Amino acid sequence: MLELRGATVNYGNFSAVQQADISVEEGDIVVLLGANGAGKSTTFRAISGLVRLVSGEILFKGDSIDGKSPDKIVQMGIVQCAEDRKLFPQMSVEQNLMMGAYVHRKNKKQIRKSLEEVYELFPILYDKRTNFAHSLSGGQQQMLAIGRALMSKPKVMLLDEPSTGLAPLVVEQMFKSIQQINNNGTTILLAEQNAKVALSIATKGYVYENGSIAVEGKPKELFSNEKVRKAYLGA
Amino acid sequence: MDILLQQLFNGLTIGSVYSLVALGLTLVYGILHIPNFAHGALYMLGGYLTLTMMVYFGMNYWVSILISILTVGLISVLMERIVFHPLRHSTPIQHKVAAIGILLFLEAVAQLIWGPDFREMSTPYGQAVTLGGVTFTWQRLIIVVSAIGVMVLLYLFLKKTFTGSTIIAMAQNREGASLVGINTNKVAILTFFVAGALAAIGASLSSPINLVFPGMGHLVILKAFVIIIIGGMGSIPGAILGGYILGFAESIGATYISADYKDIIAFVLLIAILSIKPQGIFAKGVA
Repeated sequence: MLELRGATVNYGNFSAVQQADISVEEGDIVVLLGANGAGKSTTFRAISGLVRLVSGEILFKGDSIDGKSPDKIVQMGIVQCAEDRKLFPQMSVEQNLMMGAYVHRKNKKQIRKSLEEVYELFPILYDKRTNFAHSLSGGQQQMLAIGRALMSKPKVMLLDEPSTGLAPLVVEQMFKSIQQINNNGTTILLAEQNAKVALSIATKGYVYENGSIAVEGKPKELFSNEKVRKAYLGA
Repeated sequence: MDILLQQLFNGLTIGSVYSLVALGLTLVYGILHIPNFAHGALYMLGGYLTLTMMVYFGMNYWVSILISILTVGLISVLMERIVFHPLRHSTPIQHKVAAIGILLFLEAVAQLIWGPDFREMSTPYGQAVTLGGVTFTWQRLIIVVSAIGVMVLLYLFLKKTFTGSTIIAMAQNREGASLVGINTNKVAILTFFVAGALAAIGASLSSPINLVFPGMGHLVILKAFVIIIIGGMGSIPGAILGGYILGFAESIGATYISADYKDIIAFVLLIAILSIKPQGIFAKGVA
């Protein structure tokens, strides 16, 4: 469904991602593991059209999408929840969600329906719907970011470190929600440092090291890989 | 008492014009993240275009304003496309220098076309009326009513429509706007058009009670800067309220302190408010 072939991204002289090959099938939860600065976020930025590839290509349903503008990519059905959430701080929770449905702005009925679905998934957002986004706690902001992304009815959702800064209990809840979103039919590409929890829900994983993919495989294989265990699982 | 009422009405008149200009400035600030120094030149062009349509083409006042709105809106969009858009990845200082360049360029163009003279714009609404002890010309009433009407429409557009909300969304988080599927290029164009239109409306409404000349935008734009600093950069209610605060302060100051010092009041107000509340009255909690 989504495929990166030899994707390479540079920031000036610095090469952030080199020759990344990633393949995501419909219905998958694919996890990108790796330390800070290993290239996970840059990969996401490239898929969303926020940075350009210097070489390689990104295919969505077999068609090349690199060079397309970020808004076109959302229209095609790939949406990203960035690590810093990128909410609209001075808008209410509900306005943020409504903006998430921007690509479906002509279809009021569907927006209502999506809104109900998001409130069902994250009831706390309904309780806080009139509050400004900046007044929410970290966990609630993350839920809002995911909810806003869901409003666009994505086929693929890119989740960049949704567990950052959240309490362990909230993290567990967050991953349950992600799994539920996946069960409802959205393919998920997840970047995480919390390898244990992430791999427990994943169908496949890639491990980044200094901008390249060092190891890839099924969660089971990654769990048993000596290198991965040492670096990310603390065992 | 009558004098006070009269001055309050005058304050409402100039405050309306200040608010319109400051609104455009604050909207564009949301896109550029610098105050657009060239905004005053748009105001000046708005005055000249309305005047030209009326005097040289013999058009009706309202038709002239409409043409002025569309033309200045378009010039504002060109400004964004030709100058600011190519600079979008550069540092703020380059935007500032570019804005000053546009200002000087547009003023030189105005001098070339219309000459340096002060001109009068005659209005079909020059008769005076007295109402409850306050004497005013119909023109002043038209300024207040039209400005408030425009602001209400703008508010509804920004808050109640998807297209209008994109302007606010982009001001609050540019990448966030991209990631929900908003085309930020289109939003920038729309914002500059609205800002240019607001400047043209402000100038066309106020020119009959002031004068039209190449430097007519200078003082207005400086005061609009003061207003958006006082109201909080990028804040819409702040721009409206700040405009009226300044309008009232000026007209009351002119009567009870000295008319000679009228134009200094804005800057004294700026210093006073920034000493007490450095982030502005309506400053945003989060960037």
